[in-house]
Amino acid sequence: MVFAGASPGGRRPASTLVWVLPPAATAVCAALAVTAVPAGARTAVAWCGVVATLVVAVAAAESMRRGRLIATLRERFAAQEDGLRRRLVEQEEEIRRLARDLLPAAVDRLRRGSMVDEVMKDIDHAPDLDRDFESAHRALLRAVLETVRAEEDLRDAAQRAFVNIARRVQAIVHQQAQDLRELEDKHGADPEVFEDLLHIDHGNALVGRLADSIAVLGGSRPGRQWQKEVPLFNVLRGAMSRILEYQRVDLHSVADVAIVGPSVEPLIHALAELLDNATRYSPPRTRVHLTAIEVQSGIAIEIEDAGVGLSAEARRRTELVLAQASTGLDLNDLGETPRLGLAVVGRLALAYRFQISLRPSAYGGVRAVLVVPQDITCPTPAPGGAIARAAKLPPPKPVKRATPTPMPARVAKPAPDHPGFRQNGAGLPQRRRRMPVVTPPIRVDAPPPAPAADRPAEPAAPPVQPGMWLAAFHQGLSGEPSDDTEATEATGTPSIPSDPTDPSNKDE
Amino acid sequence: MSGPDRGGTGKDWDEGGPERLYTVTRGRAQPDRTSVELVSLIVARTEPQPGMQPEIAAVLRMCQFPLSVAEISAYLVLPVSTVSVILAGLLKDHRVEARAPVPAAVLPDPELLQAVMHGLQNL
Repeated sequence: MVFAGASPGGRRPASTLVWVLPPAATAVCAALAVTAVPAGARTAVAWCGVVATLVVAVAAAESMRRGRLIATLRERFAAQEDGLRRRLVEQEEEIRRLARDLLPAAVDRLRRGSMVDEVMKDIDHAPDLDRDFESAHRALLRAVLETVRAEEDLRDAAQRAFVNIARRVQAIVHQQAQDLRELEDKHGADPEVFEDLLHIDHGNALVGRLADSIAVLGGSRPGRQWQKEVPLFNVLRGAMSRILEYQRVDLHSVADVAIVGPSVEPLIHALAELLDNATRYSPPRTRVHLTAIEVQSGIAIEIEDAGVGLSAEARRRTELVLAQASTGLDLNDLGETPRLGLAVVGRLALAYRFQISLRPSAYGGVRAVLVVPQDITCPTPAPGGAIARAAKLPPPKPVKRATPTPMPARVAKPAPDHPGFRQNGAGLPQRRRRMPVVTPPIRVDAPPPAPAADRPAEPAAPPVQPGMWLAAFHQGLSGEPSDDTEATEATGTPSIPSDPTDPSNKDE
Repeated sequence: MSGPDRGGTGKDWDEGGPERLYTVTRGRAQPDRTSVELVSLIVARTEPQPGMQPEIAAVLRMCQFPLSVAEISAYLVLPVSTVSVILAGLLKDHRVEARAPVPAAVLPDPELLQAVMHGLQNL
C-alpha cells in the first residue's frame, strides 16, 4: 500500500496525454468540418463540433479515471496477496515447527512430570504472528498437552495399581515361602510330604517372580530386600530357584565374591529372567550352562543354552527391547512372556548398570552375558556361602572318640552365646529351626551340681555310642524337656546319671 | 541356609537365603536307593575341593570323623531328606561311606548283666 501512489505517479503524465488526444482530435475534426461546410451550416456544425468534443472529453476523462482506479486497485490487490501469502508461509512454518519441535519436546517434558502450565510458559512463539493465530495456536497446543497429561495420569494410575497388586502378591508369596520353609523343616524326614512341599515351594517361587516382574515394569523394585551381602553362588541358585526348569541349569564354576545387599534382588531377578528365556527357548533335553567369572570390570555371568539361537534380525530386535526398557509399563507387553522378561531385564540393567549382551553360543544357542559392575560386588566373608561357613569348624567328634568320658570337664560356656544351637540333655547340639549358625557347636556342660559325689560313676560309664546319641537327639527334637531326659535314660543311656540334674535341661 | 547373623536383625523380609531347598537337590526329595538312614554314620573318604557345591564341601569337611545323618542335617540346617539326597550322591561317587549304626539291642544292658550276676551269686 505504501507504494500504491508511487508507481502510478510515474505513469500519470503519459496516460493523461493519451486521454487528452481523443477530445483534441474531435475538436480538430470539428474545426475542419466547420471550415469545410458552407457558411450557412457553419453555426450548426460548430455547435455539433463543440458538443461532440465535450462529449468525447467527458468520456475520455471518465475512462481515464476508471483506468486509474483499476490500476490502483490492481496494485492494492497485488500487495494484499503478497502479504497474505507471506502470512500463510509464516503460519505454515509455525505449524510445522509445532509438529516437529514444540509438541515432541512438550510431551517429553510432560512425561518427565512437568505440569501443563509450566510447559506452556516455556514455549516461545514466533514473534510476528498475528494475535488470533497465536492464541489459536496456543489453544491447540494446550488442548493436546492436556490430553497427553490425562493419558499419562491414567497410565500412571494403571501402573500404580499394578505395582500395588504386585506388592500384595509379593507379600503373600513371601509369607508362603517362609511357611513352606518351616514346613519343609518340619516334615524333612518324611520324603513324600517333603517332595510335595518342594513342589509347592517351586510353584510359589514362580508366582513370586511374575509379581516381581510386574512390580519392576511398574517402575518399582523387585520384592525382597537384603541387608547383608549374599555370596554369588547363593545368588545364582536363587535365580535358578525361580524358573520353571531349574533342573536343566548346570551351575559351573562360580567366582568367590558376594553381592552387596541392595543389588541382590535385582540381580537374582534379572538372571532368573535370562535363565527362563534360555530354558524356554532350547530343547527340553538340553542343558543350560551357568558360570560366573571375574573380569576386569566386575563379574561376568554367562548363561549359555543349546537352543535354536537368534537370527541377526531377532537379536537386533531383542537388543532393541532391552534398550527401550525405559519407556515404562506397556500393558500390551503383559501378555507376552518373552517380551515381558526382556523388558524387565532391560529395566533392571538400566537401573543397576548391568551390561547385557546376547551372542551366538558355541552350542548353537544363545550366550547371554551379564556383567555385574565392580562396585556392587564385595569379597565374600566365607567362600561358598553360609553353609560352608556354618560347617567350617569341626563338630565335636574328636573328643567323643578320644576319651571314653565325653561329658565331663569341658569348659562350660553360657548357652545364650550360641544362638545357633542349644544343648539337650545328652549334651548334643540341638537344631533350632530358622536360626542361623554362628559358632561351632561346643559341648556345653553345666558345672557339676555336686562335687565328686555324683560324678564317680561317669568315668566308669561306657563310651556313648553315636546311635544312642541319636535317640537322645530325637527326643530333644520332638519331645518335652522332661520326657527328653526320661526317655534318654530309659532308652539309650542309663549309664549317665548326671543327666537328670543337669541344669542345661531346664532351659529347654 | 540362614546367614549366620541374619536371625538377630529382627527383619523378616531379610531372613534366609535367596535360594530355595529344591535347588540344593535339584528337586529330588528322596535318594534313588534308600541307602542312608537317619542314624547311619557318614565318614568322608575324600577332601573337599574348591568348586564343589557348598553343601557337599561342608559334608566332606565335617565328616572327617563319623557323623550321623541327623547330625549333619542339624549342622547344615537342612532337612533330613535334603541331606539324604546329597549323601546318596556322595555315596554313589564313593566320596563318603556309610556305616550302619550300632543297634541299641546289641549293647549289653548293665542291669541285665547285674541281674544275671546276682542270680549266679545266689545260686
